[in-house]
Amino acid sequence: MASTNKLNWCLVGLLLAAPALPARAQAHPPKAPFFLTLHLAGGTGLVALGGGVRVAHERLEPEVLVGYLPRRLSGTKGLAIFTLKTTYLPWTPRFGDSRWHAAPLTLGARLTYTTGQQFFLTAASSGRYQPGYYWWSSAVRAGLLLGTRLGYQPSGGLRTALYSELSTNDLHLVSALTNRSLRLPEILTLGGGAKVR
Amino acid sequence: MSAALSRFSLRAVLAAGLALGLGSCELIEFSPNDYRGPADQQDLTAKNLARLAKTPLPTDDTLRFVFSGDSQRFYDDVEDLVKSVNQQPGIQFMLVSGDIADFGLAREMRWIDDQLRQLKMPYLTVIGNHDHVANGREAYQEIFGPLNYSFTFGDTKFIMTDTNGREYNFNGQVPDMPWVNQQLADRTARRHVIVSHVPPQDEDFDPAVRDQYTAALRADPRLVFEMNGHRHDYGIGQPFNDGVTYVNSYAFEKRRYLIVTVWGDKQFRLKQVSF
Repeated sequence: MASTNKLNWCLVGLLLAAPALPARAQAHPPKAPFFLTLHLAGGTGLVALGGGVRVAHERLEPEVLVGYLPRRLSGTKGLAIFTLKTTYLPWTPRFGDSRWHAAPLTLGARLTYTTGQQFFLTAASSGRYQPGYYWWSSAVRAGLLLGTRLGYQPSGGLRTALYSELSTNDLHLVSALTNRSLRLPEILTLGGGAKVR
Repeated sequence: MSAALSRFSLRAVLAAGLALGLGSCELIEFSPNDYRGPADQQDLTAKNLARLAKTPLPTDDTLRFVFSGDSQRFYDDVEDLVKSVNQQPGIQFMLVSGDIADFGLAREMRWIDDQLRQLKMPYLTVIGNHDHVANGREAYQEIFGPLNYSFTFGDTKFIMTDTNGREYNFNGQVPDMPWVNQQLADRTARRHVIVSHVPPQDEDFDPAVRDQYTAALRADPRLVFEMNGHRHDYGIGQPFNDGVTYVNSYAFEKRRYLIVTVWGDKQFRLKQVSF
């Protein structure tokens, strides 16, 4: 009697697992870890293009982006913005027929470097100031990101994900941390884009 | 049912998108160095001068304004300063002697304006060295206006000039002496007051232009005093022992400002106010 019960439970387990396992294998053959990114706004240029690689069991996405800030937005001439960015995806559930996937919460960090004569790497390197005259680099910004994403992959097709993220940078953060009157929304910037792999 | 639901959710998404996009324009920023401001935060110098022109000061009336400077990243102090200045009777306008921003970012200049526009009277600024950093020079010109400008209020002509020579790598052209001389040569106003950020005795003032600048001020019989910021603390004196008085403003962080009263040819009184 006891063994029949065990068998029944095993059958139930197999029935439940059976459709899930092959479907997963068919709909999502192992993908190359490389992806391309199109990014809009968020402090890295009007538009930025780049790509990266999925590592650490699909949890980390380091990438490189090259952004463009046109004259209309810089006031002087078009500026290039180079970005090194890493996104951490702690939770990536799938829905329904499992062609849809999501990352309800993503965390990230980035460094940007803005080209242009008006920006200095360090105050001393500009040749105009004593070391420490300005403690920060006006060319390099460090940023923190909080985002969300939704992706879709038709069977056999490219896996495409749309994402949006809120970010802040070191200078805005210093401003907020030293002033109670600055509210969180005042130091945030919205960006978003698409990733294809 | 599902059509109604999807229409509803589409509307919700559109509404949320509009709220995000319009309600907080700052959220969409292509670079922290984006130099622009929204329409109501552009050309603030011209707008504040137009506002000042609506309450003209009759000839021979006493001039009274608040003198402050270096608001850079002292946002908590700005709120209290505005409350205090708004309680002072008879203030015609406020001067901020530069360093509106700390990092030269347009967003910082807009934060300061968000507070200073709560003043009951107009305020006027001159560019400081921190406003030049990164893309700040472009941002300042977009949000406030020209780096050199002048205006006449009652009997007094205010000459506002950029003296941040170090930011131009001491190119020998800042302050713009032909412009300054032309302004000082104007004899239509009874008095002159010249306002800039870096004082000429400071090491951030272009040494190649220092003598020309101080000589031009010395030669102007209408000059009441020269006003600066940069040093973050109040000071008054004649550093060149030539009869020209230099007044330095408190920074916002010092939680003090000056009320300047001017009458007669060159008589003045400075009152220090704590907040």
